Amino acid sequence: MSVTTTPRRRLDAGAILLTTLTVLCALLWFFPIYWAIITSLRFDQDTVTDFALFPKRPTLSAYIFTIENSNLLRWYLNSTITSVIITVITVAVAACTGYAISQLTFPGRKLLWWTILACFMVPVSALIVNHFIIIAQIRLLNSYAGIILPMLLHPVTVIVYKQFFDGLPREFREAAVMDGATEFQLLFRIFLPMNWGVTTALAIITFIGAWNAFLWPFLAAQDETMMTVTVGISAVQDAFGVAYGRVLSGAVLAGLPVALAYLLFQRRVTQAITLSAGIKG
Amino acid sequence: MASLELTSIAKKYGAVEVMRGLDLKVADGAFCALLGPSGCGKSTLLRMIAGLETVTAGSIHIDSTDVTHKEPSKRGVAMVFQNYALYPHLTVRQNIAFSLSLAGAPKAVQTEKADVVARMLQLEPLMDRRPAELSGGQRQRVAIGRALVRDPKVFLFDEPLSNLDALLRVQMRLELAKLHQDLKTTMVYVTHDQVEAMTLADQIVVLDKGVVQQVGSPLDLYNAPANRFVAGFIGSPAMNFLAVSADGSDLVLPGGGRIAGAAQGQVVEVGIRPEHVRIVADGAGVIRGKTRVVEQLGNTSFVYVDIASGTFVVEVAPDATPSPGQSVDLALDLSRIHKFLADGARLAN
Repeated sequence: MSVTTTPRRRLDAGAILLTTLTVLCALLWFFPIYWAIITSLRFDQDTVTDFALFPKRPTLSAYIFTIENSNLLRWYLNSTITSVIITVITVAVAACTGYAISQLTFPGRKLLWWTILACFMVPVSALIVNHFIIIAQIRLLNSYAGIILPMLLHPVTVIVYKQFFDGLPREFREAAVMDGATEFQLLFRIFLPMNWGVTTALAIITFIGAWNAFLWPFLAAQDETMMTVTVGISAVQDAFGVAYGRVLSGAVLAGLPVALAYLLFQRRVTQAITLSAGIKG
Repeated sequence: MASLELTSIAKKYGAVEVMRGLDLKVADGAFCALLGPSGCGKSTLLRMIAGLETVTAGSIHIDSTDVTHKEPSKRGVAMVFQNYALYPHLTVRQNIAFSLSLAGAPKAVQTEKADVVARMLQLEPLMDRRPAELSGGQRQRVAIGRALVRDPKVFLFDEPLSNLDALLRVQMRLELAKLHQDLKTTMVYVTHDQVEAMTLADQIVVLDKGVVQQVGSPLDLYNAPANRFVAGFIGSPAMNFLAVSADGSDLVLPGGGRIAGAAQGQVVEVGIRPEHVRIVADGAGVIRGKTRVVEQLGNTSFVYVDIASGTFVVEVAPDATPSPGQSVDLALDLSRIHKFLADGARLAN
């Protein structure tokens, strides 16, 4: 019988230092979020007297007040509707555009590609006045269409798809062409299903971006019933005055779906960030 | 089954002409190998037959139907790719039945046809696996199955064995030969491996720089190569070549050896295969050299001999192998000598 021993892991001072530093940075990053959560669990009068790391008298009163005294559920619905529509349209259009630029030959293909790259270089905030004027002129302010339309501009998604399709061996396309596949069948039965991970990752990151968007929904939705969560919460802040617990309960409720989405699809979100990181340089 | 006829095929990429005036006839049920070095145009030719590349000029007929400008899927051809191109998200069954599914065939028909193909290729236990769960040989069989299910008039193979290891390659070669015997379908097979071409094909087309150098049976090409290129390309180890000069009716070899009465026309080079050279007693040969390397293959041995003009390869019996560094005399089987002119053409004996 042979005896095997597991070598004892050597303690490395550098590794310990690095781990400690990383943990400290993580704590530093997480502390404001933690503070917002525990503040939202305090009575309003305690928020300026109780500075303990856990509330002495925990309560959900701030949450109940926010839900009862605001249109939060309506804002959730608005955010859900706009984010889902933006995600579906953006991903579908980006997949088709990325496929066309990558795989098809047609007049103006390069011009289209350069236009998309140029769009990518223009910050959305630089276009926001134009967007506002156009949407106002076509009378779409305070409507879902008005919120959604300018937010469909997602050149990064097209770029990620194009890169992905460029990287696939041409034999897949040729084999399918020999089998009699049309371009739509190629895209929807071969190219996209071959790696749903890319689509899932892009959909999640688009959804999170749409849910967290503030500036454009703030301008486009002036009626309280059309506001999204992020816009509505800022309105709550003004309406509630200096009531930290209530304001922060609104912030927590606004961020909750995105935090849950991230926890559920951690791996995909990281993949999406990695995919677009190379492009954002 | 169908015959294939290529007439005056030309291919240009911009200003670069890669093929010009190529003519080829492949008989119904033949196994035709397109053989040549990398970049000779063999894959381009196959892709033009498949419809994956356009033809700049000329025509392609399959069973006297002009398919030159037809869609790939309408030509009655099926292709097996070098890297198999199996769809990774589909099972073996779905991969095999994919073309039927695209054509809108009922599920029952798809399953039935896929099962028939699976039985033929012994894929039945693998039908619910995905390509990533298969070995190289199994993937190859699935790729063949995917082509087979379309019941094509002509099978096209683009270096299908090049991704397999040596042992599996021999097995798959045998399976392809059996498949051809069973189906008797016309097959066009691209390879740069002359052993594959020689063992599988009954017609070999040797290409170089987009030009057909010779078309013939494997033995024709081996025994009567049309030119120096074919002579050097067919055979492993390659044919030995010696630059010669004429002196009266004799040919003078490098090192001073002479072949009496062999001078003919403007011969500048002679070639001889390793198995037609013998190591003989000192003074009895026409070339003298020193053995450098000996390759023992078990059933035979190859001796690499340094001579005045370079290296000469001699095939010897395994029990008659000289030691490296030994001086040897080489005799040539004069009836097996190939004579080449300055332009590379071979003179008929």
